[in-house]
This record gives sequence, structure tokens and C-alpha cells, in this order.
Amino acid sequence: MDLLLKGGLLYDPAAGWEGPAEILIRDGEVEAVSLSLGPVDVPSLELAGKIVFPGLIDVHVHLREPGGEAKETIASGSAAAVAGGFTAVACMANTTPPVDGKETVALIRERARRADLARVYPIGALTSGLRGEELAPLWEMAEEGARGFSDDGRPVMNSALMLRAMQYALPLNLPVISHCEDLFLAAGGVVHAGSHGHRLGLPVIPAVSESAMVARDILLQDTLGGKGKLHLAHLSCSQSVALLRWAKERGTNVTAEVTPHHLLLTEETVADFDTAAKMNPPLRGSADRKALQQALRDGIIEIVATDHAPHQPQEKGKDFLNAPFGVIGLETSFPLLWTKFIETGLLSLMELVKRMALAPARLLGVPGGTLAPGSPADLVVIDPRQEITIDPRYFYSRGRNTPFAGWRLRGVPVLTMVDGEIKMWKGKVKGFSRDFPTLEKISLLKE
Amino acid sequence: MPKDMLSLKDFTREDLEDILQRAAYFKKNDGKIFSSLQGKNIAISFWEPSTRTRLSFELAVQKLGGRVINLNPRISSEEKGENMEDTVSTLASLGAHALIFRHSIPGYIQKISRNIGMPLISGGEGCYQHPTQALLDIFTLREKGVKLEQTMVIMVGDILHSRVARSHFFALPLYGAGLTLVAPPVLLPPELVPPGSGYSYHLEEVLPQGDVIYLLRVQKERQSKGLLSSLDEYAAVYGLNEKRLALLKKDAFLMHPGPVNVGIEISFKALKMLESFPTRKVLFQEQVQNGVYVRMAVLDTFVAGRVI
Repeated sequence: MDLLLKGGLLYDPAAGWEGPAEILIRDGEVEAVSLSLGPVDVPSLELAGKIVFPGLIDVHVHLREPGGEAKETIASGSAAAVAGGFTAVACMANTTPPVDGKETVALIRERARRADLARVYPIGALTSGLRGEELAPLWEMAEEGARGFSDDGRPVMNSALMLRAMQYALPLNLPVISHCEDLFLAAGGVVHAGSHGHRLGLPVIPAVSESAMVARDILLQDTLGGKGKLHLAHLSCSQSVALLRWAKERGTNVTAEVTPHHLLLTEETVADFDTAAKMNPPLRGSADRKALQQALRDGIIEIVATDHAPHQPQEKGKDFLNAPFGVIGLETSFPLLWTKFIETGLLSLMELVKRMALAPARLLGVPGGTLAPGSPADLVVIDPRQEITIDPRYFYSRGRNTPFAGWRLRGVPVLTMVDGEIKMWKGKVKGFSRDFPTLEKISLLKE
Repeated sequence: MPKDMLSLKDFTREDLEDILQRAAYFKKNDGKIFSSLQGKNIAISFWEPSTRTRLSFELAVQKLGGRVINLNPRISSEEKGENMEDTVSTLASLGAHALIFRHSIPGYIQKISRNIGMPLISGGEGCYQHPTQALLDIFTLREKGVKLEQTMVIMVGDILHSRVARSHFFALPLYGAGLTLVAPPVLLPPELVPPGSGYSYHLEEVLPQGDVIYLLRVQKERQSKGLLSSLDEYAAVYGLNEKRLALLKKDAFLMHPGPVNVGIEISFKALKMLESFPTRKVLFQEQVQNGVYVRMAVLDTFVAGRVI
């Protein structure tokens, strides 16, 4: 359905647009963007006081399907995505069976088509069965629609195999996404090796278990002659940031992501064994958090990703040692960044849109990330003033495992559009909310 | 005063003082019949091997006139797949008035404490906390006339895996005592050292400063897990032997949470020499004895509602 969005402020870093704009959407694409388009023959939506920008893209989520449908499905995860302002997500390969061949890639894309909410880009495994022993069929998966490769959840410990995978992925021009963790150094740990983790008497994960592998992967990437895309997942510590800075100064082709929880929380959040704060990599010290924030501001880290990792309440209800790693993030990520980075002046909205839409689109090599004419009409509208209290009971995700429950946040997405179709409107998700309104109805409704 | 005794971090000095004064009373009036747990059933469930601590708690219950219910892991429902929280929640319905619990996983006791509805007392929790041990240590030192605010405690051994050490990280500062930790670097990461305390990797350098030398048990499995090259090597570098005894202050006290690995933490000869000193400096036996009075005091405080 065609539509004119007017009265809102548009932030589109790729187009260099920052201010009032009217956006004409026709046949699922942005047809024109202008201060004033004059009379047009389509219904219009009044967005006074609202902010519009390209749909958010999360390069790192776990949708659990196939095999883990009790934790999340492609449909429930996609609903959580559009509820949180995301128009596309890239889902990791650690499902059951893992995404290590074209069949699973095809299955995920088919389920995502049926869910008909966010775009879902499968990430294929680097190694068969995520076992870290032999290469998975990267070309075959790429042909079927995989948009990157990763054994996320576990590292490729064998450096020769990792290098081979990077070489294989190179001509495909798809990123190799590395979960940097030396398993011998991590040694079964569950909390950061800081003063708080040690006080709890739990086995610890030292920061060097991550940074040593960051260094390795940067050096491996350097052997590829400036080609190939290395992307470092969920960086958590200051050492990794320093290595990334060093690599970029030398011209290594490497990008990195950081999660909202590593940007905003520290090991103290674990408090007395709170499993809602158990994730891998773990929450680290305040100096690490500060380094990550600084790297995000400097653009050394160019992507914010959630590492959305849903689990069932009874799994997270186990004792801290045995509860699974992971927190969800799709429905909290943007309001967290808005409230803690935009409102505080730490980051401009243009920069944040780069980190959450433009850079992710470029990493995956997918459409979106901009609303320049000719782009798909994938966009999000937020209400900068609306305040919410995070309440996991109302998540679309099947997961409830968030460390942000009870936080009061602003910058709530109120409309998410994919391909010109409204998928979320004021918290209601198409196909999920019984009273999801038609576009005609939405365009007639006034504030 | 908190409702449970899980970690000494939750306690003020006044709280501990209250408990220790009770312990002193029970010790002074040993042999008297107390009835503060009359008609009360105290469940004891230890999910880790223990003889001494368990016995100590059982005696404490009996001396206060209470009845012990043993919840033996081997015959309980965990093996049937029933989770511990469910099992524990039936304890209250069965008429238990408190639970004394030991488990090998840090955080496990915290987890079951959420909906148990009766006082829960830790009998030792993984590498996390062993609150009654730290309390009985403080009791023992004060009984010996030690002025804790002028005391330097040198703690030697497997600090990384020690719940006793982690309880003392809270107890000793409350009483103003100094603490210096000694262990090989593998067992003593600097992040573990609490603020205000010192640490060293060289036992001989710090021994002369110690008013109390507190030895921690070094378990054999540390060697099998590759944290120590051998226990003999540990004993040679960090064990208390005859030669190192000469470095001790004349009036230094020696403590250990037990059971002692003679030949590892302390050499056989060193132990014999110390035990033959005219004034008793080795407090191992006193620690065990006082354990019962301190645990009586804990039960009296948390379960009986402070009858005395």
C-alpha cells in the first residue's frame, strides 16, 4: 500500500538527511524524500513530534528455530524484532540441527517468509556441526541466501581451520563473524574474572580469553591481502578494543559489534547470582565498559548488535553455574541506546543510526540502512517522549531473560515498516495482535 | 540481623557480636540443659562430603533440645528428577523449622532460599561462603585474648577455591584485623584480594609479620586439574616446615579449618614442634570445640528467636 509520511524528522546518514522530511512510499520502495512533496494521491500518515529513520538491522540474534522452538521461533523472534524497531535480523547458526548446509538455510528463509514480519538473514556455520573440525559448505549456503558465516556460541579454536574458512569466504564477499574465545583460557568459567566474580567463588572467564583470539583473528585477516571481511562479535573488554584500534590504524579490514548490555552493565549486575546477568562473554569491569562506550563513540566499534539469546524461564531458573548463557535484546535495544546515549549526548542520533542500521546493512551486503529514493521502504518511527518501563511479561519474544526489567526508558519505536508494509504499530504486531489495525485505519487515526 | 545466614557480607559487627556473646554464654554454661530448640525440628542436608561440620551442627541442635531431621541426598528425590526447591519447600510442610544446607555449587543455597519460608543456614557453599567457620575462628581468637584490631592474619593456601577465605574477607575487616594472603599465583589472582588486604607469593617474606597464621587446606584435585605441578612442590614452597617456624613471631597462633593435610600445609615435624610449645599456639582443636558453641549461638539466634 502506498503512503506519505509527513510531519516527522528524518535521520538518514547515508543520504546526509537530518531534519523535517516528507517520505513518499510506493510499491514498497521509497519514491521520494523532500521537505515538501506537494499534493500526492496516496493516504498520508501524520508523524508530528516523531522521528523516522531507516529500519534497524541486528546482525546478531538467535532465533532458535529449528530445534529450540520452546525458547523462540522465527515468527516470535521476528515479532520481537519489529516490536523493537528492527526490520531485519541475521540469525546465528547454532540451532538443532545447525545451519551448516543449504537445507537449513532454505528452511529458515521459508519460515521467515511465512512469518512475514522482519527480513531474516541466515548466518551459516563456518564448520560442519559447529564442531570446529572441518569446513562447512560456505558456497552452497551463500547461494541459498546465507549472508555471513559464524560458529557463534563457540570459537574455531584451530587457527589453520579459521584461516581456511576466511579464505573460503573471501570471494563470496560475505563476513566471517568470529566469536572470540579461547576455550582453554575460559576453562568452563561463568563470570568475569574481576573482583565481583571472584567474590562469588564461581569459575571465571578472564578477559584475555577474548582478546587473545581477537589478536589472532586480526593477524589471520592480515594475511588475506586486504580482502575479506572479518567481523568480531560481541566485544566485551578494553584489551579487545585496543587491539581493534591498532588493527584499524594499520588498515586491517575488520569490523566489530558491541551489545547494549556490555555497553551499560558491569559484573556487579550479577549481584548475588542473578542468572539474568549471565551471558557469554560475561559482563566485565567498569574500565571495560568505559572503553566499549568510547569505542562506540569513536566509531572504532561500528555496530550495535543485541546477541538476542532467548531461554525458557525454567532454564534460567537453574543455579548460576548451570543456567544457560544469554540475554534477549530485540525489544529493549533501541530505547536503551536512546535513553543512555542519545539523551545524555554521548552519541548523536545520526551516529546511532549508522551503528544500528547503515553499518549492519553494509556488513551483510543487504538492502536497507538508508531511505534514499529507490531503497526498500524499511523504516522505523520512534516517539522520543513516550516512556516505558521494561516488563518482560509483555515481550513478543518467548524469552523473558533480560537484565533490564524495571528500567524506565524513552525512544520507544511506535511504527515499523518493512517493504512499505506496516508490521508494528504502537506496540501491536501484525499477525500477533488481534486488533492490529489496517493501514486505512492507522492513517485516519489522529494523535 | 538477616533472616538467613548465607554470606557474612549481609552482617554488621553488631550482628556478629550478638551471636558471639551467645556462644560465650553457651560455652560458659556447658553441661546445662538448654531448651531453646525444644519442639523444633532442624533439617540438615549436606550435598558435599562432611563429617565434622555436620556433626558439629547436629550436636548444637541436640544441646539446645531440638531434633535433627536428616535429608540425605542419596535417598531424597533429586535423583527422581524432582528439583531441590520442591523438595525443600515440602520440608516446611513436614514441620521443619530451619534448614542447614551444604552444597558444592556457589549460589545454590541462595537459589533455594527464595521460597523456603524458614531460616536457612549455610553449612558451606562451594567456593562461596562458610560463615560459621569464620565466626568460630573469630570466637576462638578473641577467647585467646587476641586484640583483632591489632592483629595481622597471614592466610596461606588455596585461596582461589576457599569459602573460608571468602567468609573471612568480610569477618576480619569487621573486627579491624589485617589480612595478608599467600599462595602460588595460580591460586591467588590479584582480583580476588579484597580491598585493604595485602598479598604475597613469598611465604617467608610475610611470615614474620603474622600474629595469626591461618593455613588452608590444599586439595589433591588441584594437582589433577593441573593447577599445581605437584603437592610435594607446593609443600616445599608454601608449606609450613621447621625452617619456616623459626620465622614466626614467638606468640603467633596457628589455625586451620580442618581437616589438616599433614605433610602438605604443614610438615609433620613442624606440627609436633608447635604442639610441644609450653603455651598452646596450635588452635586446631579449639576451633573444632568452639564450633559447637558458635553453631548453638547461630541456631539460637536464627531459629529460636533469641531465647537467651
